[in-house]
Amino acid sequence: MNILHKFSAHPDTRCWYVAWNPTGTLLASCGGDRAIRIWAREGDSWECRFVLPEGHQRTIRKVAWSPCGNYLASASFDATTCIWGKKGDDFECLTVLEGHENEVKCVSWAPSGSLLATCSRDKSVWVWEVDEEDEYECVSVVNAHTQDVKHVVWHPTKELLASASYDNTVRLYKEEDDDWVCKATLEGHTATVWSLAFDSSGQRLASCSDDRTVKIWKECHPEDEQGEGRASTDPEWKCVCTLSGFHSRTVYDVAWCQQTGLLATACADDGVRVFKEDSNSDCHQTIFSLSVHIPKAHNQDVNCVAWHPKEAGLLASCSDDGEIAIWSYQSET
Amino acid sequence: MASQFSGVLQLTDLDDFITPSQACVKPVKLEKKPGKSVAKIQIEDDGSYFQVNQDGGLQKLEKAKITLNDCLACSGCITSAESVLIAQQSQDELYKVLQRNKQNSAEQTVVVVSVSPQSRASLAARFDLSTTDAARRLTAFFKNLGVHHVFDTGFSRTFSLLESQREFVERFQRKDRDKKALPMLASACPGWICYAEKTHGDFILPYISTTRSPQQVMGSLVKGYFAEQHNLTPNQIYHVTVMPCFDKKLEASRSDFFLKEADTREVDCVITSGEVMKMLEQEGLSLNDVEPAPLDTFFSSVHEDELLRHAGSSSGGYLHHVYIHAARQLFGVEVKDITYKTLKNKDFQEVTLEKDGTVLLRFAITYGFRNIQNLVQKLKRGKASYDFVEVMACPSGCVNGGGQVKPLPDKPNKELLQQVEDLYKAENTRAPEEEDRVAHLYHSWLHHVGEEKARELLHTGYHGVAKNTNGLVMKW
Repeated sequence: MNILHKFSAHPDTRCWYVAWNPTGTLLASCGGDRAIRIWAREGDSWECRFVLPEGHQRTIRKVAWSPCGNYLASASFDATTCIWGKKGDDFECLTVLEGHENEVKCVSWAPSGSLLATCSRDKSVWVWEVDEEDEYECVSVVNAHTQDVKHVVWHPTKELLASASYDNTVRLYKEEDDDWVCKATLEGHTATVWSLAFDSSGQRLASCSDDRTVKIWKECHPEDEQGEGRASTDPEWKCVCTLSGFHSRTVYDVAWCQQTGLLATACADDGVRVFKEDSNSDCHQTIFSLSVHIPKAHNQDVNCVAWHPKEAGLLASCSDDGEIAIWSYQSET
Repeated sequence: MASQFSGVLQLTDLDDFITPSQACVKPVKLEKKPGKSVAKIQIEDDGSYFQVNQDGGLQKLEKAKITLNDCLACSGCITSAESVLIAQQSQDELYKVLQRNKQNSAEQTVVVVSVSPQSRASLAARFDLSTTDAARRLTAFFKNLGVHHVFDTGFSRTFSLLESQREFVERFQRKDRDKKALPMLASACPGWICYAEKTHGDFILPYISTTRSPQQVMGSLVKGYFAEQHNLTPNQIYHVTVMPCFDKKLEASRSDFFLKEADTREVDCVITSGEVMKMLEQEGLSLNDVEPAPLDTFFSSVHEDELLRHAGSSSGGYLHHVYIHAARQLFGVEVKDITYKTLKNKDFQEVTLEKDGTVLLRFAITYGFRNIQNLVQKLKRGKASYDFVEVMACPSGCVNGGGQVKPLPDKPNKELLQQVEDLYKAENTRAPEEEDRVAHLYHSWLHHVGEEKARELLHTGYHGVAKNTNGLVMKW
């Protein structure tokens, strides 16, 4: 894997998260400086295209683009979530979503763009609905986790939501009788689960943890095995793979490339790793092998990895050192 | 243990990340004793602290104690409030009082139990009884244990409804001068009140109706009128309420409902429907085995030996009664039927009074945290067009309170909820204005105590809680 570029995105502070817009033309970053910056490629270098006005009073932990690419949501430790939209040549804050008791840790848009999920240190996961007039209403507050909720992510095609928590579990939610309910709890990690990523089909979910492992969970329909048509039963999610022994410290983020199926991780040991699925791995016993390990990808903890949505093998990472790195992965075959 | 508070309260400041030094942030006032500024403190094996004086003598140091009321007035945790609560308000406390009465015949405490309509419906559902039958058997059960009187908070709710009606009309009439007169937000739900005070403080509190909840009106009645009638001082009475909701314990513990002079609370102890179940289990009884006793009609809404309810929602019917009264008083419209329009979900419904295409009144029912959230946000943006909102913290309202009897393992909660709702609604209704006993009490007791005192007995106040942010609790 080659480094294409490295630049200081949030000088003298942490860069927490990076997110590509759906077409991959822009990369948004957020950090401890309460700033959101939007980057674009200019020839061989990366330039800051937009600096969003100050909207948050504390650290901005995550940013997420809407599926249409017109809106950006930011989750902040000031207990609010801001929705940004482009007005003329600038981004402006359209709405502030209030309600969480304290630090908002993550925000994620559903594939339809009409639902938004947020999670917080207050242990709750909220689902918001957006109407045609860009008004946001809370449709559900789910208190399934017993601790701080670190991450929320939607299924790539269905209205299925996943969350990861300090309580070591991953939970999945669906709408039922006009409210959202926890349908499954994935237990197996022995420490905080920091992040989640679905594969392109949405049948598998990767989770990464403070226990230094990455786990792959697979959706299993009970009738698959027993041959009885119990269609009403909810699918179970089973752990089909645990990547242990690869990371020497906390794994903060995991990203599943929608085109190549490659799995990238961001680790507190300053390293970035890319795992590749074995061609002979079967659906019940998935095997992933370490393909690339960049030990000193950054000077400090790597907080986030994000695959480019269109260009296969293009990866962005960011770190506590405030820098963003852009990598190019070439298949060894 | 899992928290039993309503979801609203579980979300508010429930925080397990507090570091030891911050387990409690409540400043405790201790009387300073004069002496040298330097002292030696010795910790005994039993955990008590002693100050070692210069002469070698030991002086026991006072322990700082946090009461439930301290917890409520604080923006810190609520988890510790829960353990304080359990110590102060449980069926065990009731048993203790009853035991003392048995052991000491000279000094008797009069024990009064006031049962809520939602609790009797919950217990009726468990034992397959009608609500009146359940109430008669509960009366017998409590009296067999040594309780002296068993009342019905449906009776005190009549006052809450009448006061809400009057308060609304008064607020409506000053809405042009006072921006915070409307919407008037119902105040009977303690989970909602606690959330409003802790999270939205001074912004939201002016909108909240000052009318007391049925539980706290019953508190006034029992420790006021009832005490007078029986020549008792308030502290000679131990008043227990049976409620569908754990949060009611918080309400009873508010300093607003503490009678300073008599050194007693208006409601000494709140036990939930589920805790009554535990008492029955402890006694080895099913309610079906208890021989029914006549109802105590001193403070009960009864017609021909059958308990009555109020029309409208099973959360007290606040919208129903305020709406009908306001339509009549403000617009001269006699409302026959009320059409509830379901909005986003079944816990968010709207009622409008229209005349010639203009909306005269817009009322709503808002149950559960998500709907409360949207209501508060709309209010903040000046987009809430309501005149009155019946706010309850629990989805489906009070029949679904966290303190209700839990469903049996083979019964879906939804089914049980419907059964409790049906039982509640099976009772005949009586309009608050037609409750002669209440009219009589307004006339005799409340008139007698004077207007100001009557206001104090039927209304209350709210107090915003200042937020305490502490940098040490940072967690990425």
